[in-house]
Amino acid sequence: MLPQEQDRFLPIVNVSHIMKKVMPANAKILKYFINFITGEASNKCQREKRKTINGDDLLWVMTTLGFEDYVEPLKGYL
Amino acid sequence: MDKSEQTQQQQQQQQHVMGVAAGASQMAYSSHYPTASMVASGTPAVTAPSPTQAPAAFSSSAHQLAYQQAQHFHHQQQQHQQQQLQMFWSNQMQEIEQTIDFKNHSLPLARIKKIMKADEDVRMISAEAPVIFAKACEMFILELTLRSWIHTEENKRRTLQKNDIAAAISRNDVFDFLVDIIPRDELKEEGLGITKATIPLVGSPADMPYYYVPPQHPVVGPPGMIMGKPIGAEQATLYSTQQPRPPVAFMPWPHTQPLQQQPPQHQQTDS
Repeated sequence: MLPQEQDRFLPIVNVSHIMKKVMPANAKILKYFINFITGEASNKCQREKRKTINGDDLLWVMTTLGFEDYVEPLKGYL
Repeated sequence: MDKSEQTQQQQQQQQHVMGVAAGASQMAYSSHYPTASMVASGTPAVTAPSPTQAPAAFSSSAHQLAYQQAQHFHHQQQQHQQQQLQMFWSNQMQEIEQTIDFKNHSLPLARIKKIMKADEDVRMISAEAPVIFAKACEMFILELTLRSWIHTEENKRRTLQKNDIAAAISRNDVFDFLVDIIPRDELKEEGLGITKATIPLVGSPADMPYYYVPPQHPVVGPPGMIMGKPIGAEQATLYSTQQPRPPVAFMPWPHTQPLQQQPPQHQQTDS
């Protein structure tokens, strides 16, 4: 009898269990990153008396906070 | 000879004097005080010269050569790291230029929007903002991982560990906002440039004897300098030795003798 497709790989449950051990730290770092950028973008909008945070605000904040390398690639998404 | 030529000559002489004195003082200073590595490793600061030891001139030149080699290696390593990062960003640019489908994202947009909304000041978010964040987060993870991997390779390892991420965060000012996440002890170790393995295991602070290393030369007076006159080598060394030394901290050395166990003392209880 030929082995099934699934039997040739490790069980997904076990793999996801291992991944979850590392996940909290990564998720936390990303949450901080999003909050950090969003906070500054929000301040910019308040100063300019606007209600909506748009893509340009995020790119401007990234440039200001030292993430200028991100800006050129991300311009393609606007 | 007019006035301007005279002043030029005087300036040149002054520069010459300052150069000699500074050079001599640096040599005198470096030879008598322990380096950070000595303090960290626990080697005594003052070592007795062995009969087989090479003369001072030879040892200083050997030190200089070793230092230059280390500097050269470090410079090469930095260049390699810069190249890696440049390649990373150029690859990211190419990847985005080749992207046709902008609707599939590696991170959920709804979750990103929820995190953004967690800030009370945020009122409305445009549709493009979470899309940009999804890609920015992806690039952020990749960059942080690459910088961490550089540290892993520096330590000749093949497994990326938590302290590598701590190193990447502490080395780059842009990642300062993440300092709160990384445990303090890991950041401290990275700052010192020593790992847990290199710190000698010693008992409690009470068990450790403390030694004070006195200054090698008596401090004669304030540092002096003759302005406008060239000075000889003898005078240069004289002035260099007069420079006040900074106080040397108390340095703990680990115990080599085993501690004697005292018999347990029984407390008398009131009957």
